[in-house]
Amino acid sequence: MADRRRINGPPGGTRPPVFASLQESSTGVATRVQRQRQPTELRKIFLKTGLIPTASGSSYLEFEPSASLAAARSNPKSLIPPSSALKLACTVHGPKPLPRSAAFSPNLVLTTHVKYAPFAARKRKGHIRDASERDLGVHLETALRGAIIAERWPKSGLDITLTIIEAEDDRWWGDAPDSHDASWGMMNVLAGCITAASAAIADAHIDCLDLVSGGVAALVSDDSNQSATSAPRLMLDIDPAEHRSILSACVVAYMPARDEITELWLKGDSSRAALGKDDGRTGHEALIDGAVDAARGANTVLAEAVRESIARSFA
Amino acid sequence: MASLPPIAIPGQRLGPLSTYSAGPGTHVQQSFIYASIAGPVVADPAQPKSQTRPTLRVSRVISPKDQAGSIPAVPVASSVTSKPRYNTLPAVDSIVLARVTRVQKRQATVSILVVLDESAAQSQDQSRTASDNDNVASILTSAANPENHSSTDELRFQALIRKEDVRAVEKDRVVMDEMFRVGDIVRGSVISLGDQSFYYITTARNDLGVVMARSDAGNMMFPVSWKEMRDPVTGTTNGFAPFVKWPHSGSTSNNQADSASVHPYVRGRSSSSPEIIGIHECQQNHNYTPQPSL
Repeated sequence: MADRRRINGPPGGTRPPVFASLQESSTGVATRVQRQRQPTELRKIFLKTGLIPTASGSSYLEFEPSASLAAARSNPKSLIPPSSALKLACTVHGPKPLPRSAAFSPNLVLTTHVKYAPFAARKRKGHIRDASERDLGVHLETALRGAIIAERWPKSGLDITLTIIEAEDDRWWGDAPDSHDASWGMMNVLAGCITAASAAIADAHIDCLDLVSGGVAALVSDDSNQSATSAPRLMLDIDPAEHRSILSACVVAYMPARDEITELWLKGDSSRAALGKDDGRTGHEALIDGAVDAARGANTVLAEAVRESIARSFA
Repeated sequence: MASLPPIAIPGQRLGPLSTYSAGPGTHVQQSFIYASIAGPVVADPAQPKSQTRPTLRVSRVISPKDQAGSIPAVPVASSVTSKPRYNTLPAVDSIVLARVTRVQKRQATVSILVVLDESAAQSQDQSRTASDNDNVASILTSAANPENHSSTDELRFQALIRKEDVRAVEKDRVVMDEMFRVGDIVRGSVISLGDQSFYYITTARNDLGVVMARSDAGNMMFPVSWKEMRDPVTGTTNGFAPFVKWPHSGSTSNNQADSASVHPYVRGRSSSSPEIIGIHECQQNHNYTPQPSL
């Protein structure tokens, strides 16, 4: 409910418009960022647990900035960063008693909150969680609920709070929204949330079936290479700012030791994938496989971070 | 038998169910034992009577028992982890330390401060329990401090001590107001997970009861008998918080002496006829950590 007694600013925050003509300034045309990685190459992940002493478990996750962002930081040509890199913090509080009004529960009651910092994305977010943030929270809860052994913690609740400090872009900032547009950045954010939350839960010593990690794959058509048969290609761990057009994307939450998926989120049109000739998979099968591969990659980082956390707490 | 990893992370396969049986911190899937929390792997040797296979478990904290265990888990530094984590839930039969928050005619409401480590509580070599007494003492002194009575009770598990569960004998003569006062620290045993909001706790055992209390004047009180505590400064038993333990007529003195030496907070007078003893004698018999400022 908006405060009616004061003159409020615009609810979404503002940002000065950037016109196409401005991009051709004295420093030359603002260059599109390009993906420098191989299609199956993931960005590096920084993951550390136990940074928040008052929480029973916590973690901090950061994706490596893309090559273009790193170049722009060292040699700035514009005040506008060409792309962004995911940064998020996760805290786990609990197991703690349920509120008095709550009904008896023989299992652990899981609550997830995902909140963007107001400055996390190019468009400012409000202080109240909006629909997309609540949506992310529900997806995250689904992903974690399959991994936690809830019956070992009767009558108690677990609060998982994720703060997105820097979010991924949905498209290159200079692009106008087009028909293929969707909030692709959210999918990367969800994958990061899953990995970070899993590390924080392990840090809090909550019983889990396995470490669950998130991965993203996407079908991308880059028209820039002018080849007539530019069918969409499968790429792992996309940075949406680096691609002209993303046709579809997929996030999975994956437990490698059991080879199980606890959360699957597909978005877009995956029917036009250009796979190998002897590849009998459909587009969405290839997408899911790609996302699982990305999640496996993230899991190696996750396992290492959990080992570090153990070594630290028992040293 | 494959060698066990020193440290496990969740989802790591530890061993087949044909060789081990699954203990705390593990789960079983397709006849293999997997770790479900991160921590050092401990294999407890098989007890010849009850079971035939060693029990695999993943430890939450490093206790001295684990370090001396059959399997050298990790090269541990001598100091136990600096920030102990008590995120264990109260279970049936676990020993807890709780602070009284409300006294009613039929029951007392307490909030659970610490769930004592299960392995420490069960181990026969009771001198081991002294290892976590330092932490417990610090928690208790801070909790008994009236300034620390903040709103953190919301975050603690609540429990009830019913009138019938206060002591084992003469249950019908129990007067709750004389047994507990708000702020007392009680050592109790969980008898039930209870309803949606409360656990149920009993103090009807020799090693259970009020272990720390303050008088009306705000001074620490000390037990002078099996059922009375006294303020050493004012010398009054005014507002006394009785020690709820009732000596069993058939209890052996050996038993009593044991429990007194085990836990510095547990006072046991072995005499079956209660007598008031002097403060000095009391201190000689039981080495209390907080010394009264006379």
